[in-house]
Amino acid sequence: MPVLSGSAATALTGSRRALLRPLGAAAVALVGVGYVGAVDPNLAGHYPTCPFLAITGWYCPGCGSLRAIHALAHGDLMTALARNPFAVVAGAYILVAWVLWLDRTVTGRPRRWLAPPWVLYGVLTAILMFWVLRNLPGWTWLSPA
Amino acid sequence: MSDYGSTPPPPPPLPSYGIPGAQGTPPPNYLVWAILTTIFCCLPLGIASIVFSTQVNSKWSLGDIAGAQDASVKAKKFAIWAAIAWAIIAVLYGIAIAVGLANFNFNTGTSSY
Repeated sequence: MPVLSGSAATALTGSRRALLRPLGAAAVALVGVGYVGAVDPNLAGHYPTCPFLAITGWYCPGCGSLRAIHALAHGDLMTALARNPFAVVAGAYILVAWVLWLDRTVTGRPRRWLAPPWVLYGVLTAILMFWVLRNLPGWTWLSPA
Repeated sequence: MSDYGSTPPPPPPLPSYGIPGAQGTPPPNYLVWAILTTIFCCLPLGIASIVFSTQVNSKWSLGDIAGAQDASVKAKKFAIWAAIAWAIIAVLYGIAIAVGLANFNFNTGTSSY
């Protein structure tokens, strides 16, 4: 704990230090999105190929997410959805989760509520179905190509 | 006001407001990390992490506090392993680029990652 002069500053230290985590996570995410926005993943050689795709030849649920993030960084939602709709939805969820995290940090209130289990079972089922379907012919709207 | 006879007895007090399961602060389920892992490589670890995230919620909702905490620890472990695996792949790729091997098999037109 750094020594600060002034009782008010000392009282605030805890919450300020706690704020470093969500703000740091946001900074890391912004740098990452900025990098993917600047270095185009549509061009070969900029990023490694998905290990799962390289080994099996099948798309994984994350395939196309770099190009989706690149499109989002350029404000192109439709292209992002075409590359990986799951990444777009997950990005929205992560944004909401981050806001709730920030709120818990600022107010000091612990988490009081967990989503009902069927929601998470649904998410898991949806991801597994997405994984399979995007590899099937006729489901090109789910494939990253 | 209403004419339904005598006032019905008040309902029994709810065990908690909202969740029928355990009370207090639920353990974190690390679902964000699990989903990040699933999107950015390390796929088996990501799916496993989501399974344990789900177990945190289901066990907590059944009042199984110890089980929920155990699942939370496992979800966190898988997230950390996934991060380590990601770092290893990134370092290997960096080495491949530095050594000049990088472009030999990534010229597939698009990088699907």
